[in-house]
Amino acid sequence: MPGFRKIAEISSADKEGRCWITQFRKAVASAATVQNAGIDYSYFAGSPPANFYASSPLVSSAVESIRGIYVPTVGSGRKQFLNNIRIMSAASGATSTANGRQLLLLADYLLYYPFVDTDAVGEEQVMENTVTIPRYPGGQVIAVAQSASSAIGTFTMTYTNEQGVVGRVSQDNRTFIVAGGGQVVNALGSGASYNSFVNLQAGDEGVSSIQSVTFSVAGGGLMALVIVKPLMLMYFNQESRRTTSSNLESYGACDEFQSVIHKAGMPEIKDGAVLNFFASGFAGSLASSILVGTLETIWN
Amino acid sequence: MGFASQDALINAITTNGQFDTAFMNKALGAAGIAGAWTLLGPHAGSPPLSVYTGTDLNFIATDDTWAEGVTWTGGDKSPATKHFLSAGASVVAAAGAPWYIMAIDMVGFVPLTTTNVSTTGTKTVTMTPIAATAANVDRYPNGEGLRLFVAADTAMGANAPTCVINYLDTGGNSGATTSFTSTASVTIGNLLNTGAAANKYNPFLPLAAGDTGVSDIVSLVWSGTAHASGTVIIGLCKPLWTIPVPATGLYTKVDFVNALPSLRRIPDGANIQFLMFQTGATTSGGTVLVDFDYAWS
Repeated sequence: MPGFRKIAEISSADKEGRCWITQFRKAVASAATVQNAGIDYSYFAGSPPANFYASSPLVSSAVESIRGIYVPTVGSGRKQFLNNIRIMSAASGATSTANGRQLLLLADYLLYYPFVDTDAVGEEQVMENTVTIPRYPGGQVIAVAQSASSAIGTFTMTYTNEQGVVGRVSQDNRTFIVAGGGQVVNALGSGASYNSFVNLQAGDEGVSSIQSVTFSVAGGGLMALVIVKPLMLMYFNQESRRTTSSNLESYGACDEFQSVIHKAGMPEIKDGAVLNFFASGFAGSLASSILVGTLETIWN
Repeated sequence: MGFASQDALINAITTNGQFDTAFMNKALGAAGIAGAWTLLGPHAGSPPLSVYTGTDLNFIATDDTWAEGVTWTGGDKSPATKHFLSAGASVVAAAGAPWYIMAIDMVGFVPLTTTNVSTTGTKTVTMTPIAATAANVDRYPNGEGLRLFVAADTAMGANAPTCVINYLDTGGNSGATTSFTSTASVTIGNLLNTGAAANKYNPFLPLAAGDTGVSDIVSLVWSGTAHASGTVIIGLCKPLWTIPVPATGLYTKVDFVNALPSLRRIPDGANIQFLMFQTGATTSGGTVLVDFDYAWS
């Protein structure tokens, strides 16, 4: 049976080459991001290349594998796990501390519906489900801005939950004002209670497909609804930078997570996974900062 | 052999003196490329810069006696085994932070020069497959865990062809890496398969699905528009460990006794070299310093 039963098996997998180290670099665009709200690192340039959710409007589509952080395909009869991850973030300037204190979510990007018009008040925007959700029966929904937005909007969506029950209706969710694409535009309350995931109908834990979206208050932009499987939450502390005047000082930290120690269950990475990060910046705008890291997997 | 307990480790390094420290420093001979990895071997320092001498398209096995410069780890200890205890690294450069430093065991390389770089097509490699003998070149039996990269050992000319490497896996079966797009006009040491763009893989080339290593390099295939000039190597290595360096002048120390897996082994014959990732373009003349402690029992 695939999986690890003892530490010696982890060592053996490493010795026998059933492991991989990959490295990523994502540079956030220059448009200011909202403090305490989320961003979608997949949307920004770097390695892997940017993922703009550019496909037919309202038609389900799987995120291309090249948009994800590379991990090997291990084949049937094996299970691959996240082993280790190390994260740093380069500041946008010598004195900027705005990209410190990030909450990061490593996720498997499953399915998305692009170009939802957040201005189409009262109009039911019906999704076309030509592609079904891969790898998992369901996941969480994240609203990702595909443009700047100008207002606090309100929407609901109808969906099929991960149990296969159709006709489910989400709670009222808000969008809010952002300066550019790649920002997570989901909130509650008056639009400033930022929330990673779209709030579902009571009792539901996931979504397998989305049938429609209806805005009751205009948001003034475009967004994609993205179904993801959250794999691991982690925290990043201090930005990397070097001052250029007065007493020259270097700042920076690397946060490391050894998943067998720091994450119950050691996240499994399924073959075909499209890995990337969502993040919330609690110190300020993440604009022009650069997230870099290494990600190690191991399989048995 | 190895350490059966923490007591055995402490006894080895205190009572028996079975430990040592190794040190490496490099001064970067050219500015780096943001988002790319660099092989530090072609840069000056201690050990001295390597020029990767060898007959074109022939695999050159390297070990800790390689004449072009190695980080010395005390020679063979068999039947005892050597293990990393800790490592530290620092980078001092006006730009480029943050960095990652990766230690690798360079099992060997294949040099390509002149028309093997400046023309497209299949470049067939001569190599005796890695086996499972006691020879140093077989220190990772049948190539278990070995990875591939392509590095510039001189500055490259214009153009960025696509490239794929054909190999045999640990079972002797044919495989091919994922195709990557090379990089035009890079400076020495740059790993051509790395960078912040599509069709780049950092730092190693993806192997075929299910493969866990490389026993034989069969060929390199260039297509598209060939590099105008330059020399490259195909590197075959075992990744050992990685250290993050958040900012210039900071020193990061990593403990390998309490990590998991712990106490990674240094096989007899290991040719320990280093790769560096740079978030920004590291300044020419920047210095890289790495040290590590190891012990044997």
